[in-house]
Amino acid sequence: MKNRLIIAAIAATLSVSTQVRAEDMVFTSWGGTTQDVQKAAWADKFTETSGVTVLQDGPTDYGKIKAMVEAAGVTWDVVDVEGDYAVQAGEAGLLEKLDFAIIDKSKLDPRFVTDYSVGSFYYSFVIGCNKDAVSACPKSWADVFDTAKFPGKRAFYKWSAPGVVEAALLADGVAPDKLYPLDLDRAFRKLDTIKADIIWWTGGAQSQQLLASAEAPFGSFWNGRLTALAATGVTVETSWDQNITAADALVVPKGAKNKDAAMKFIALATSAQAQADMAKGTGYAPVNLDSPKLMDPEVAKTLPDQQTAGQVNADMNYWAENRDAIGERWYAWQAK
Amino acid sequence: MSQRNGGRVFGMALLTAQDNPPLAAKPRGLRPVNFALTLPALLLLVVFFILPVLSLLLRSVLEPAPGLGNYAALLGSTTYLKIFLNTFVVSALVTAVTLAIGFPVAWALAIMPSRLSSIVFAILLLSMWTNLLTRTYAWMVLLQRTGVINKALMGMGLISEPLPLVNNLTGVTIGMTYIMLPFIILPLYGVIRKIDPAILQAAALCGATRWQALTRVLIPLATPGMVSGALMVFVMSLGYFVTPSLLGGTANMMLAELIAQFVQSLVNWGMGGAAALVLLVVTLTLYAIQLKLFGTARMEGR
Amino acid sequence: MLLNFDRLGGWKWVLLGITAMTSAFLILPIFFIAALSFGSSQWLIFPPPGWTLKWYAMFFADPRWLEAAGTSFYIAAIVTVLSVLIGLVTSFGLVRGRFIGKEGLRALFLTPMILPVVVLAVALYAFFLRVGLNGTVTGFVIAHLVVALPFSILSITNALEGFDKSIEDAAVLCGASPLEAKIRVTLPSISHGLFSAAVFSFLTSWDEVVLAIFMASPTLQTLPVKIWATLRQDLTPVIAAASTLLIVVTIALMLLVALLRKGLKS
Repeated sequence: MKNRLIIAAIAATLSVSTQVRAEDMVFTSWGGTTQDVQKAAWADKFTETSGVTVLQDGPTDYGKIKAMVEAAGVTWDVVDVEGDYAVQAGEAGLLEKLDFAIIDKSKLDPRFVTDYSVGSFYYSFVIGCNKDAVSACPKSWADVFDTAKFPGKRAFYKWSAPGVVEAALLADGVAPDKLYPLDLDRAFRKLDTIKADIIWWTGGAQSQQLLASAEAPFGSFWNGRLTALAATGVTVETSWDQNITAADALVVPKGAKNKDAAMKFIALATSAQAQADMAKGTGYAPVNLDSPKLMDPEVAKTLPDQQTAGQVNADMNYWAENRDAIGERWYAWQAK
Repeated sequence: MSQRNGGRVFGMALLTAQDNPPLAAKPRGLRPVNFALTLPALLLLVVFFILPVLSLLLRSVLEPAPGLGNYAALLGSTTYLKIFLNTFVVSALVTAVTLAIGFPVAWALAIMPSRLSSIVFAILLLSMWTNLLTRTYAWMVLLQRTGVINKALMGMGLISEPLPLVNNLTGVTIGMTYIMLPFIILPLYGVIRKIDPAILQAAALCGATRWQALTRVLIPLATPGMVSGALMVFVMSLGYFVTPSLLGGTANMMLAELIAQFVQSLVNWGMGGAAALVLLVVTLTLYAIQLKLFGTARMEGR
Repeated sequence: MLLNFDRLGGWKWVLLGITAMTSAFLILPIFFIAALSFGSSQWLIFPPPGWTLKWYAMFFADPRWLEAAGTSFYIAAIVTVLSVLIGLVTSFGLVRGRFIGKEGLRALFLTPMILPVVVLAVALYAFFLRVGLNGTVTGFVIAHLVVALPFSILSITNALEGFDKSIEDAAVLCGASPLEAKIRVTLPSISHGLFSAAVFSFLTSWDEVVLAIFMASPTLQTLPVKIWATLRQDLTPVIAAASTLLIVVTIALMLLVALLRKGLKS
């Protein structure tokens, strides 16, 4: 008798599926403190005004998106993805067209608006340097590629994404407006000159760890990470010279169950105040052109949108079209 | 039945059983039962592994266009071939290192006084118990140029320049050995424990030196455990991706990381499936070869 | 003689030396993690500039950590029981059976270990979406069971093959039923194989991150996924604190078990 009770209890537990209720929507991002800020600035505000509960999921996974769209079992309503993926996925039919009747795109930075996506936030690859660990800090990409003047290890982002290839070309003397189409051969030749001295970082936290411990006393970093690092007491020197912008985007997978709520959520997330709050919490730049006015000028100064002198915009469309081709060559070069 | 009688009956039964081939003691009709015993696992695998994975692997010949295009790209590119080769080389290296370290440790554990062996066991289990990612990160920080190990070595004056211990083959080997050691030690320990000490005593009485006893008696007897453990470690290493990606350099990318790139980042399931299938085929072939070479030794256990 | 600790002679010290060094190697990162969990710097720098308990405070302040840990443990426990049971039954079939395709079957049972988990994760995820098993404990258990079973089968077949079947047959001749003979004679003898199977199955489920990323839902998350996302986004010693706490709890449990055993013996 006791055995039967135990079996029944186990069966009951196993069959309880923790499913999401119909009135909830799901916001997916990359996790960590960035998602915590997105939750506070966007999701919680959305719940306050609309009454719809926003569940947090993550980390974003493109394989998962493809699988759920194909199986018509989409469980994510709004997803934070990389900018070039948003363009590519939109063209591949994986995303819903955004409803610009609900989302006001007139105030949004046009660099980051497409039919299928709007910017989530944007950031720049800048040159970061641990001042305590080196005698002199590099100021330009050419400096970072100069092992004679600046000996030691330097850090770069490992994955095939806008940023490193552009930096190599700029360091080699290519003018910013002549970057595209990317001359990959030239970029790889330039990268070869410092390959032995590169330490690759795979995530934001790792990049901060490398700089803080002086394992790689300088290199290419996301600006938000450097701001956060400086706040913990590490003496970081940032050079915005020729900073390269890139952005994350908000998208709605095709077949999302709560499309209406998703559009309204994106409308709120890209509104001036919500973007300003997010920028304050993460150190990333807002995509709403009205946001800087709402922000504390001291904080606004540290953001990429104020560092436009010499700023280079990574071409998301180019990357979207050539993502696979560039990726293949990138990994081939790394594996050499 | 009294204890003494029961003992004598059991002893006689044992002698009888050992003289007669086991099949004679079993009625014929019971043989199919053994296959039936494998059915639950088989069903589980077919429904939740073979069928789903097969449909994904099929895409390797269907995407982006029907044909063997993905395989041509894979096997024709030196980059991918290099990654394949590297994966097998690293796995073999890790297996060899863990065997070399694991055998003496398992041996020691099997014969040490139980107070000492309990402590070592506790350490072994504790090391497995810490989350994999945390352990790998700890090694990353320990092995860095500015990490504890290099600092200690320089402080002791043994080296003047920090050793490159991470982001290369050394780092991957150290990290993966750390994780794989318990997988060799535990099975080997079990096998060595079961060896009848009398056999080795007999060898000594026959005049074998310790070295001869080791190479001609102990190691052959422990071979089933070694093969089983080595197989587990080798196969696990082939599919491993967390540790190699954090501790290795880009020049030693392993296959699992590449496949993850294809499936999750580039979302090219055709190529991802193709790479996975090639890995499967090569590994199963190696397994079949290994079976031909070591199969009989394992079956007898002697 | 080689298996007699006291009669090994000089070799005893070699073995002890290797074991001591290996133990030190095994425990080094754990000490390191414990030390970092008390360090005041957010970055993993050793030696830390100061000491603090704030990471532990942060861990306890966020209920999601404990929740994730509890979920992981619960799932791993179920997976272990199922894996050992199914593994045991299957091993008997594989070792004792004589049928065509036996070696092929053995190889088949190995394949979940060979195939990179991400392929299985995507495939199972798509399949579960159609049958509604995503985000459920059942789905998690099935997924983990598929990858844990090979370990169980390998360990138990290894132990079973080293077992002298004639002892079991003798018990049958003495009057025991075949099942009784297996339970009372064979099982105790292969207990080290069962132990290995249980340990490996538990740890496979406990540490598993890729399948978990796919099987998770906003309401069901396991510890490795949380650690994975946190490690990639923010490196905080909170993870070190979580790991250390786990170690301390485990050591306490181990000591408890050891004390109980001593109590029972005396």
